[in-house]
Amino acid sequence: MSRDLLSEATRALREAESVSEFEARATRARVMTGLHQTRVRRRTRLAFLLPIAASFVAVSAWGAASGKAQLVLDRLERLVGVKVETPSTASATPKRLAAPSALPVAAPERAARALTHEPEPRPAPPVPAHLAAPARATAGPSASVKRAEPADPALALYRVAHTAHFVDHDPQRALAAWDAYLGAAPNGEFAPEARYNRALSLVRLGRNQEAKSALEPFANGAYGGYRKAEASALLERIAP
Amino acid sequence: MTIFGLAMVTEQALANDAELADEFVLRLSRAEPSAVAEVYDAHHAAVRAFAKRLLGDAASAEDLVHEVFVSLPRAVRKFRGDSALRTFLISIAVNHARHHVRAAQRRRRAISAYGDTKLHESVDPEHEARRKELAALLTRALDTLPIEQRVAFVLCEVEERSSREAAEIVGAPEATLRTRLFHAKRKLRLALESEGVR
Repeated sequence: MSRDLLSEATRALREAESVSEFEARATRARVMTGLHQTRVRRRTRLAFLLPIAASFVAVSAWGAASGKAQLVLDRLERLVGVKVETPSTASATPKRLAAPSALPVAAPERAARALTHEPEPRPAPPVPAHLAAPARATAGPSASVKRAEPADPALALYRVAHTAHFVDHDPQRALAAWDAYLGAAPNGEFAPEARYNRALSLVRLGRNQEAKSALEPFANGAYGGYRKAEASALLERIAP
Repeated sequence: MTIFGLAMVTEQALANDAELADEFVLRLSRAEPSAVAEVYDAHHAAVRAFAKRLLGDAASAEDLVHEVFVSLPRAVRKFRGDSALRTFLISIAVNHARHHVRAAQRRRRAISAYGDTKLHESVDPEHEARRKELAALLTRALDTLPIEQRVAFVLCEVEERSSREAAEIVGAPEATLRTRLFHAKRKLRLALESEGVR
């Protein structure tokens, strides 16, 4: 009996009266309005998002081309104390000219700062105990940043030179240390940076002729655009 | 030669049809109003009938129909032409039905709480009154089923679709659909019996 009842109820549901034409038309109008609103919303969203995206791309490209992006990343790295990976910048710059990740490329004004002996708040690789300067070698602006001890002896030499140059502001010791690093790794990853810093040490020591010889390759573009402007400015300043 | 020529003509016609269908789907995916309107005019009755039978409530059914056609431009990107467009529309309705079923249930409960069931207010002849009463009872019984069993029952029993087509609509194996249908019918019989209808 229940089976018949279910069939009867099913048939009754199937044959229930259809919706009026008026309701069908009203829903059609709602659908069309809904679609129109969706299209308007999409266009509005595009009108806002496209200029923002274009501006972002333009600023990123400008930042990458002018080196400002690297500066921002450096500051972030210092602020957060975590190394920021920059694959796009690394691929845009030739590897042998790339600044060490722990020692980022400086801004043009840094050269002038170096001349006035202003402190360079740049982190440096760890120093081996036997090479470290007694008082401040192990302490410095980067003391709070935890980094692994370098296994590479050339890198250790670089750190010593870096500390003498940027932390202790001892151009005599820095010059010796840069020479030591360049002797150990003349084609090392940080050689261009070391050569430039060596030239700065020579400027500080007043050995202008040697400084001129050291700066000229940079000013002549032997290292691409790396430190070209700063080297030219320094050459003008030390010119007799 | 003639047969070969006829075959070529048929193939050409099929290719043309496929191109037209692709173009139409492209227009739909771009939410071109004329394309959506064309689909609405051709299929709204089928979608509405299914919605009304599934939900048992005209207002909720209209909402579901609206949602199906508004979401069509986005949904049609998944349409591969393996099934008829009408079947595809019903499957969209199934996917959107869940919260409409709940809305319809709430509305029915509210109506029943105010005693406005209209079951016994009909001035139609006796047969018509009984038919309406049975339809309303079945709709209330459907409210007790899980949505999957409810959809299976409406598709296979009320709309009299084959289990294969229903399985295609809900995107489940045929065997699963038959199992759902079996349980749905068993529960509905019990529900109708408990209402004491003779």
